Amino acid sequence: MRLADLPLLTTLAWRNLWRHTRRTAVMVFALALGVWSMVTLASLVRGSMEQQITKEILNLTGHAQIHARAYPDDPAVAHRFRPAPALDQALRQSPIGAWSARVRVPAVVSSERESAGVMLVGIDPAGERGLSFIPQAVTAGRYLDSPDDPGLLLGRKLAEQLETALGRRVVLMSQDAGDQIADRGFRVVGIFDADPQAMETGYVFIGRGIAQRMLKIGAEVSEIAVMTPDRKRPQAAVAGLRAAAGDLDVAPWTEVQPLLVLTEKINNVVLLIWFAVVFAAMAFGLVNTLLMAVFERTREFGLFQALGMPPRYILGQVLIESLMLLVVGLVLGNAAAWATVASLKGGIDLSAFAEGLEMVGVSPVIYPALAGSDMAAANIIVMTLGVLASLYPAWRASRYVPVEAITRV
Amino acid sequence: MPPKTKALYLTLAALALILPARAAAQDAATIVKTAIDYWRDVSSYSVVDMTIHRPDWKRTMTIRVWTRGQKESLVRVSAPPKDAGNATLLLDNDMWSFSPKINRVIKIPSSMMNQGWMGSDFSNNDLAKADDLIEQYTHKLLRTETHEGRKVYVIESTPLETAPVVWGREVVKVRDDWIILEHAFYDQQDALVKKLVTSEIRPMGGKTVAARERMQRADKPGEWTEVVTREVQFGIDVPASIFTLANLRNPREQR
Repeated sequence: MRLADLPLLTTLAWRNLWRHTRRTAVMVFALALGVWSMVTLASLVRGSMEQQITKEILNLTGHAQIHARAYPDDPAVAHRFRPAPALDQALRQSPIGAWSARVRVPAVVSSERESAGVMLVGIDPAGERGLSFIPQAVTAGRYLDSPDDPGLLLGRKLAEQLETALGRRVVLMSQDAGDQIADRGFRVVGIFDADPQAMETGYVFIGRGIAQRMLKIGAEVSEIAVMTPDRKRPQAAVAGLRAAAGDLDVAPWTEVQPLLVLTEKINNVVLLIWFAVVFAAMAFGLVNTLLMAVFERTREFGLFQALGMPPRYILGQVLIESLMLLVVGLVLGNAAAWATVASLKGGIDLSAFAEGLEMVGVSPVIYPALAGSDMAAANIIVMTLGVLASLYPAWRASRYVPVEAITRV
Repeated sequence: MPPKTKALYLTLAALALILPARAAAQDAATIVKTAIDYWRDVSSYSVVDMTIHRPDWKRTMTIRVWTRGQKESLVRVSAPPKDAGNATLLLDNDMWSFSPKINRVIKIPSSMMNQGWMGSDFSNNDLAKADDLIEQYTHKLLRTETHEGRKVYVIESTPLETAPVVWGREVVKVRDDWIILEHAFYDQQDALVKKLVTSEIRPMGGKTVAARERMQRADKPGEWTEVVTREVQFGIDVPASIFTLANLRNPREQR
């Protein structure tokens, strides 16, 4: 095919397309709808996944965690460690962002009327800024001001269950380093809200220094949580920490929360299946429309050939026609998807189903996130496979025998 | 008057104002401590009937109790046969229980310290931390009353800020012969939660003792636990070997 003939074929294809305005419009609409659904659904899934991961990381996970070897299997006070100077130095260097050491052991919190099993978390209040949700989560009372703050932060739901309130005292009981009962009274200085609610009922926060004294563990801690510059690539930072951590266990969030990684993988597969289903429906419509168009124009194609147009030009003409359909459909579909996502910037409020959603870890408000990679994937899939699918009608068109084609009634 | 002397007089005047108040606080603490010491003695052995009453049932257990000093106690159930042999050992704040049916000694974990002891209205904490009243509270003499012609001190005990105590305050009534007549537990909004009341005082084992005491929850009138002391001896020789895990499992105590 000579390049100079391309404008001719393009003109022919474009005019043919609008010979049946309604048919073409329906096809374009179908294509646009398909692409719109692909991109919008992908952005919903991505948005909700992104939120879930961000939330989980802020819910005391961080990008990486350092523990004593046995701690992940048995989070008891016995499995504690003292950060070696080398590790301390490694933590102070880039690429480590925020980091903080915590005491984290099971405990029992009791009020006058009820008691509940919780995870006692001794924190350095300043270190948790930019690392976990807790500095922002205190909605009544105040946040702790130092590791030696004698106060306690209690979740709203747990305060309700214990029938206690801000300003009253509760008792924490746990096991100390010598396996004796360690207990101490604390005044509730802050009430925090958290999502999911299990965070509110499952955790109480006290100053780290107070926790260390209560458990008689000196300056030792249960875990160090670390933020790295890039959530998606914590490997470099983790490798650096591993080298400095000696016998300790350094795990990136993907190992601490394997379920999240699995969920992300499942989401990818679900999206791919959705893309395939939508495309299959679209492809049948496209092939059918083109076949019809080709069949209608049997005599025309015969005439073209009789006048000396080579079969590959006819093939090219039909392919260009399909390409035009696809491009128009894709542009409209992407524009519609972009508009949809932009109009949902404020989030989709599903709080009516909040309880059920919380069970699977999805927050009640979903903020769609338009991901470039998903958009590109949807467009490339539709484009390539669309052109491939139209090869068959195009090939049919180019295979007519001119005499038979012209004489056909 | 030279300024130095004036300052001295002022200090003395201030001291005169403060001292009686401090002395009163000291008094209240001493009264509580004396009452607890009187109740525990240096050592004791007692046989007690414990009745657990609920709206639709009621049962009585006979238990035997050995104590030595403030920190060591052993409790063993002797009747009814179904429960006989169940035992609890208390060493300071730690608690172990033994059940002959499973032949196991179990350390009571901190998570169970708030639960009722053997289904009664006394929590494990009530037993394990009875002497906390001396160390973890500040005491104030509220007023005095009379009971059967004797003077009764009404003392308000407020837990220290960091005390492992959930109560807002406790009110203890101690008669001048060191019998604890009443021990009321108030929550932090000053509502009564439960109350231990002595209803019978008898001479036993050479002393006057509270022979019948009832623990009653304020919000559940039909639920209470009553302990009746049938027999008690004080200041006897209780060997240290009684308060060991080995003895908890294999009883070697006499009587």
